[in-house]
Amino acid sequence: MTRATKAWILLLALSAASTALAASGLIGAALALPVLALSGLKAHVILRDYLGLVVAPGWLRGFDLGLSLLILAFAGLALAA
Amino acid sequence: MTIPPDSPQSLRASSLAPGEEKPKTHDEPPSGQLPGELLMWVLILSEITVFGAGLLAFLSVRLTDPTGFAEAQSHLHRTGAAANTLVLVTSGWLAALATRAAEAGQRRRLRLLLAVAIGFGAVFLILKGTEYADLWAQGIGTETHAFYTFSYLLTGFHAAHVLAGMVLLALVGWLGTPKAVETGAAFWHMVDLVWVLLFPVVYLL
Repeated sequence: MTRATKAWILLLALSAASTALAASGLIGAALALPVLALSGLKAHVILRDYLGLVVAPGWLRGFDLGLSLLILAFAGLALAA
Repeated sequence: MTIPPDSPQSLRASSLAPGEEKPKTHDEPPSGQLPGELLMWVLILSEITVFGAGLLAFLSVRLTDPTGFAEAQSHLHRTGAAANTLVLVTSGWLAALATRAAEAGQRRRLRLLLAVAIGFGAVFLILKGTEYADLWAQGIGTETHAFYTFSYLLTGFHAAHVLAGMVLLALVGWLGTPKAVETGAAFWHMVDLVWVLLFPVVYLL
């Protein structure tokens, strides 16, 4: 199985988990935090396996750091509402 | 060492245009260098920044009217948007496979994969268009509430990128070179990446 195919299966599983959380009736931090964490994981997989940053670990860490800060800002604003 | 003419190495080499470097595959060991075109990475970073700023603005304005935003969000098609996530990640997978096919010199396979990826892009736009049509039928436009101003702007801008990506995939499929296909697929993955950030903020939170 290729890296891209493994990534696709993982992305489907992460997306299914997001949908299940949204359908569970959870609200507030109990919904926002795991859903945003799953979003960050999906972004990491796309960068690593679809966009090929697996061959450039330093760049991957840089993108992960930037996206983590962005998602933390999303979480902070979502929880402040 | 002599490479047999029908070996995978020979097929890969034969797919390269004169003067074109062999693209790095995603299964090769780490080199530390960015794969693909540097300009495409500049575009990817720019798009993440633009959409990230838009989503931060959306969440900031939401602080002024959380109840109104929640009510407005309930009119969106959450199920369709969740399905669209599956559609885009599947389309991205096909584009990634097309990149490998291009590296292996399999032009027919790469074109088939890109055609199906474009088809999934069309499915995305149909689902998105259905949501817009439903909102408009309810009399909901960009001026109805601040939520819709942002959601139409962010999702509409993203949908425009999907459309542009479909055109780009068709173009690189026609060209068929490994470098072109890798660049087109990178744009498509960027569209996918933006959606996985946009979807939870606009549809779920």
